[in-house]
Amino acid sequence: MMVQSKSTRVLRSVVAWATVLLFAFPLYYWLTVAFKDGKEIFNYPPQVWSFSPTVRNFEEIFGISLGFGFGEQREVLPGGGNWRMAPRLWDSIVIAILSTGLAVSIATLASYALSRMNFSGRHHFVSWVLSTRMMPPVAVAIPIFFIYNELSLLDTYTGVILVHALMNLPLAVLLMKSFFDDIPREIDESGMIDGASRFLIFRRIILPMVKGGAAATAVLCFIFSWTEFLFVLTLTQTGLKTVPVVSSTFVTSTGTAWGNMAALGAAAMLPAFLFILLVQKHLVRGLTLGSVKQ
Amino acid sequence: MANVEYRSVGKSFGSVQVLEKLSLDIADGEFVVLLGSSGCGKSTLLRMTAGLETISSGEIVIDGKVVNGVHPRDRNIAMVFQNYALYPTMKVRENIAFSLEVAGKSKDEIEAQVAEAARVLNLTEYLDRKPSELSGGQRQRVAMGRAMVRNAKVFLFDEPLSNLDAKLRAHMRVEIRQLHDRLKATTVYVTHDQIEAMTMADKIVLMQGGGIVQVGTPDDLYDRPATRYVAEFIGSPQINCQDGEIVSNGGEALFVNGELKLPLPASYAAHQGRQVTCGIRPSDVALSDTGPIVGTLQIAEKTGADKQMHLDVNGSEFVAVAPRHTQGVPGDTLRFAVAPDNIHLFDHASGIRIAA
Repeated sequence: MMVQSKSTRVLRSVVAWATVLLFAFPLYYWLTVAFKDGKEIFNYPPQVWSFSPTVRNFEEIFGISLGFGFGEQREVLPGGGNWRMAPRLWDSIVIAILSTGLAVSIATLASYALSRMNFSGRHHFVSWVLSTRMMPPVAVAIPIFFIYNELSLLDTYTGVILVHALMNLPLAVLLMKSFFDDIPREIDESGMIDGASRFLIFRRIILPMVKGGAAATAVLCFIFSWTEFLFVLTLTQTGLKTVPVVSSTFVTSTGTAWGNMAALGAAAMLPAFLFILLVQKHLVRGLTLGSVKQ
Repeated sequence: MANVEYRSVGKSFGSVQVLEKLSLDIADGEFVVLLGSSGCGKSTLLRMTAGLETISSGEIVIDGKVVNGVHPRDRNIAMVFQNYALYPTMKVRENIAFSLEVAGKSKDEIEAQVAEAARVLNLTEYLDRKPSELSGGQRQRVAMGRAMVRNAKVFLFDEPLSNLDAKLRAHMRVEIRQLHDRLKATTVYVTHDQIEAMTMADKIVLMQGGGIVQVGTPDDLYDRPATRYVAEFIGSPQINCQDGEIVSNGGEALFVNGELKLPLPASYAAHQGRQVTCGIRPSDVALSDTGPIVGTLQIAEKTGADKQMHLDVNGSEFVAVAPRHTQGVPGDTLRFAVAPDNIHLFDHASGIRIAA
């Protein structure tokens, strides 16, 4: 192990903590806004540490009384936004989970083929997959709107799930391919000699080895879908709305409801956080350890 | 069990010819070692036998049936890979049982076969471990167990010992050979290690540049190497080679290179004036006060059993194996003698052996 002087170690800790704070502070400040009353949000200088917390913002966006905190629910809400956010959170969860599942499933099969099977133009195929992400999404949003209109997919879960899965596929394929590429071909060959079919080798031997990679890919897909704005905005009307789109409705002609917006943002982090926590245990590296002598 | 036959087998990757019109017969139950330096095509030939590489030309016949278009799973072969290629998410038991499961064997049958393989290979107590929890030698044995239960016609080994340390390698050599003697299965074993080839093989196939240089028993290759390449490849320490010419002197033949004059069997007298390379194995020389090989000692290496004397003979290096207590310090002049029958002569230009 490298020997380090005390000052180096202290300096390293200081830099590490400063970096952590740099990332954590905006999140913390956003959370304080969610728990601040209207007036306190606009206090100058901003009250970072001392303020009187309230859950009113949460009560307002979910249209319920939490039974604690101060004050009563406002009778008249400002602006014309949709203030019942629980169904919107549900929309977000359904869309993110199903589009992630779809993208990772297709990507796993596609990238196994790209990693293992020989067909002409294989290498071009890989870069072609990525090229679909080179176009700005806004350039395809309008054509997709018209296509969806013809197919009656506007304002439906299926429509949004499909488009999110498609947007995620290129990256998911590339990521998953790198995980498959890491597995020595001899393992497939050994399975072949053992008498297994290609699909059985994939299902019984290779797939369990890329579980960690699939989990990592799923996290990225989930976060993309969870935060995607443009497609949901253009492809939905009243049937469903995801959190990012509905957050924008807090910006109204009579002002921006910062407290409500922060509360929704805070509430929306919870499902994403839970999802990542769930798949995290599969994010173990070194799953191929021991299969081959390196 | 089966014989394997290669009929003018060729392989090319694009414009690169890796194997050229190679023909070889492997008898039923024989242990054949494909030996050669890396890039000679031995692993490619093995993979073609397994069906993991396509055959560009010619035919491979296993048990009387041409297998060119046959899928690996239908060739009834078993293969042990250099990196073992165990299934990392499965336990040892599942690794060994996988092929049986795929073949649709009954649970009892699978269990009995796995238990038997584990007993033979001393793996019984590791059956419920994952490959990552095993040592290199144990993983190697799991790979062998996997091959064993398949009851295959032909066993293929692709440099299976190269990842093990020297002691374990020596031990596994014996185990693999014993396993072969027990199963009597036709075995094709690829290695670049001539000691593995010499100790294990019934028959060695020495390959170079995509072709076969010599096929024979270990003794054939050691005692009568067909070319200078074979002579240099087989034997450790490596054979000493000196370039020179054959001089016949009144019915007697001599190998002459400057000061070095070695008596040869009389039959070589017919080759008077021929430019040759003379090969002498380090273990075939003996210290002698009147010996014709005179050299200056550069360094003496102790191996325990004997001493390897590195000499400067005629300006080129010459290694001689001497008894362990032989005295000598760098700079000393030592003399060695060699029996004429132990001198190998190769044509200087072609490298082909000149028979006595």
